[in-house]
Amino acid sequence: MPTTPHFTILTADRVIDAKGGAPIENGAVLLDGSTIAAVGRAADIHAPEGAAVQTTHYPGCTIMPGMVDCHTHHNGFGDGRLGDDLALLSDEILTVQSARNARASLFSGVTTIRENGPKNVTMFRLRDAINEGIAIGPRMVLCGRPVSIIGGHMGYFGGEVTGANDARALTRQLIKEGADYIKITATGGTTRTSFPTLPSFNVDELRAVTDEARKFGKLTATHSSNSAGIANSLDAGVDMIIHCYYLDADGTVNFREDIAERIERQGSFVNPTLQVSRATAWDLTHKRDDSGLTASEQAELDTARANLDVRLDHTRRMIDMGVKVITGSDSSWSSYQLGNTVYETELLVHAGYTPMQGVLSVTNWAADALGVSDIVGTLEPGKAADVLVVQGNPAEDINALWDVEDVYLAGRRVERGSDESIAAVRQLPAQI
Amino acid sequence: MPQTASQFTLLKVARLIDTAREAVREQAAILLEGDTVRQVGTAETVHAPEGASVREIDYGDATILPGLVDSHVHLNGIGDGRAGDELATLPDEVLTVQAAENARRHLYSGVTTLRDCGAKNRTTFLLREAVEMGIVPSPRLILAGRPVAIIGGHLSYFGTTATGVDECRAAVRQLIKEGADFIKITATGGSTRTSHPLRPSFNVEELSAICEEAHRFGKHAAAHCVSSQGMVNSLDAGIDTIIHGVHKDPDDADTYRPDIAERIAEQGVFVNPTLGQGVARIRMLEDMDSLTAEQQAELDTFRQNSDARMDHFARMRDAGVVMAAGSDSAWSYYPMGDYQTDIEAHAMAGMSNMEAIVSATRDAARSCCVDSLVGTLEPGKQADVLVVNGNPLKDLSALRQIADVFLAGSRIDRHDFI
Repeated sequence: MPTTPHFTILTADRVIDAKGGAPIENGAVLLDGSTIAAVGRAADIHAPEGAAVQTTHYPGCTIMPGMVDCHTHHNGFGDGRLGDDLALLSDEILTVQSARNARASLFSGVTTIRENGPKNVTMFRLRDAINEGIAIGPRMVLCGRPVSIIGGHMGYFGGEVTGANDARALTRQLIKEGADYIKITATGGTTRTSFPTLPSFNVDELRAVTDEARKFGKLTATHSSNSAGIANSLDAGVDMIIHCYYLDADGTVNFREDIAERIERQGSFVNPTLQVSRATAWDLTHKRDDSGLTASEQAELDTARANLDVRLDHTRRMIDMGVKVITGSDSSWSSYQLGNTVYETELLVHAGYTPMQGVLSVTNWAADALGVSDIVGTLEPGKAADVLVVQGNPAEDINALWDVEDVYLAGRRVERGSDESIAAVRQLPAQI
Repeated sequence: MPQTASQFTLLKVARLIDTAREAVREQAAILLEGDTVRQVGTAETVHAPEGASVREIDYGDATILPGLVDSHVHLNGIGDGRAGDELATLPDEVLTVQAAENARRHLYSGVTTLRDCGAKNRTTFLLREAVEMGIVPSPRLILAGRPVAIIGGHLSYFGTTATGVDECRAAVRQLIKEGADFIKITATGGSTRTSHPLRPSFNVEELSAICEEAHRFGKHAAAHCVSSQGMVNSLDAGIDTIIHGVHKDPDDADTYRPDIAERIAEQGVFVNPTLGQGVARIRMLEDMDSLTAEQQAELDTFRQNSDARMDHFARMRDAGVVMAAGSDSAWSYYPMGDYQTDIEAHAMAGMSNMEAIVSATRDAARSCCVDSLVGTLEPGKQADVLVVNGNPLKDLSALRQIADVFLAGSRIDRHDFI
């Protein structure tokens, strides 16, 4: 490591520090090695007297914090395959795929991810590889394996338990292996042997996990794809509700204002995962236009569209109620591929966020939701120099987040490769 | 990922190296159809069929040659000097990620076929699965999986040891079942701490069982030999390739053994001399601003070994031995993506530039038993093509000035880091 600090000044038309205020016009950021040293108007930002400094101007651009994606599945392919089939692959292949996904997300401007459920120790191994310097990727907040009931959602990843005692034991085991937070599947999901409209764990089991996690300063998050699962999670004091689908046990859509109020009151974060439905709808629409759909695929397309409408509506209501809704893509689950986080943020803007709130939902608020806001999420002196430079102004048009000019991770400019290879990561929308 | 190949691709270039005939073709053109070489000739004589859509690229003052064939790599390796004993303590998932990085790096540097000479557990077989799934760009892979070693022998930490004829046969069958394309044997000790580099490892009957069993299934066998008796034993056993091919007595004396060289030539066995490994380390040490006493001693030893081995290289060639290039990267301090150093080492040891290039294409392919597919640019061969700026026949460093790499007719985006 160099002993002399290396200073870098980045300037652009504006800086969004993501602290909640207006963009700083003609702004600049001073990086001191891997740390942010100063943020302000370009005229006011200087390296210390006599220090060597490298300055890069980004005309027409916005400088902002690197994005924080609260919900990824790095093992995944995003090619529509079920998790049940994904889990059949060997750990080595899943780790290689995770490394690929880590690059795709980093190159797209995501500098911190929270992984929401891989198989066995694959993500811990990827982190080992990154620490060895043989792989690159965003900062990682990892759960290891999701905690699941027998046959429950993602049980195939290796974390099935029964009873409060075993739930506590698995929590300790995951923390021992390196888990930064605990992911629980509080309801069924797409897993073949699970029941998506029913809760999975009993409240005492959930509570055992949240108690144990809290004891070690770890946060918890539950996959909750029905109302009973959300209520159980709130009883157990879970920090983040994922999906947050308001479904009754018989599958009826039924927005539960009482539950939404509890979420707001308890201050739990909500990660609504809207794009994962739209990605499925896009895929099937492309297929319909190319080669036509079978009856069951047509039904799946209709369901995906209907789900998207309902979830957009429910997200809009939760935003109106003051619930803390953040960006978490859920890629590469189902048909949604890593490197496309912006689509989720765009849908939060559809659901009622201003573009600036959209930016905050994928930076400051997301970092807050993950408990890493002391390190990332805003551009402030002392924080890590994770910086995203995009063409245009995402505070006016959220889609400016696609036009990535440069990504800095811990003060280092990321070599992202050819434009063609970057462009190939972006999934094609369809008219749905 | 390789881009989709249009049906016909016509490449024009100032010169093409015909490694089959060790000749140069000026103002050359080559027509690729899908993944196959269709026609090689001059710009006047080579044309796509009437009416066919063809992608044409004129590279100007550049050279076309077959994609390089590296007959000896260790995809698990990191090339940062760590001992294999340490490398083997890394988890398989991490080693597979490293293998993927190495495969990419080698491909982007112009290598379109590689033979992996020993990896931990199933890591390279799983890498191949990942390549077949399309998640890792890679040269063609010729895999040994785990080397077959004696207890405590060289590379035994990668997971396969055998004692006696039956276990040796079983080890070969197991490896072939898992997907081995050839069998790697460590016939002497090596850098492995518990091994004895100056002594043979397996007895001849064990080596014979391994070679026989491999040959029964149409696989070839290659033996690591860093001392003379290991070569003799391997020759007795009917080995196909001798790796390293170091002439050394049990007392460490560098005694050249003409009798062994004669037998190697007579039996038609290939030698992969791995000279680049030493040259790479010498260059690295020479490039340092200052050396510790330990590093200076290391440099002296490397120079002395390198001199002896280059001398033996020349004498073996005189005896009629065919030398196949193969880098041995990313073992020790030799990272992957730099096969060029090994090719340069062959020229330093007396080969002409043409001969060095042939040793890294045609002859390396022959030693890996894939010469029906790759190693030369002839109609019907796979369209694995390397385009470099300048003329490597005049200056080998042109092999580092890569203009393009084609693998099975697909142009590789060498700046795709995803």
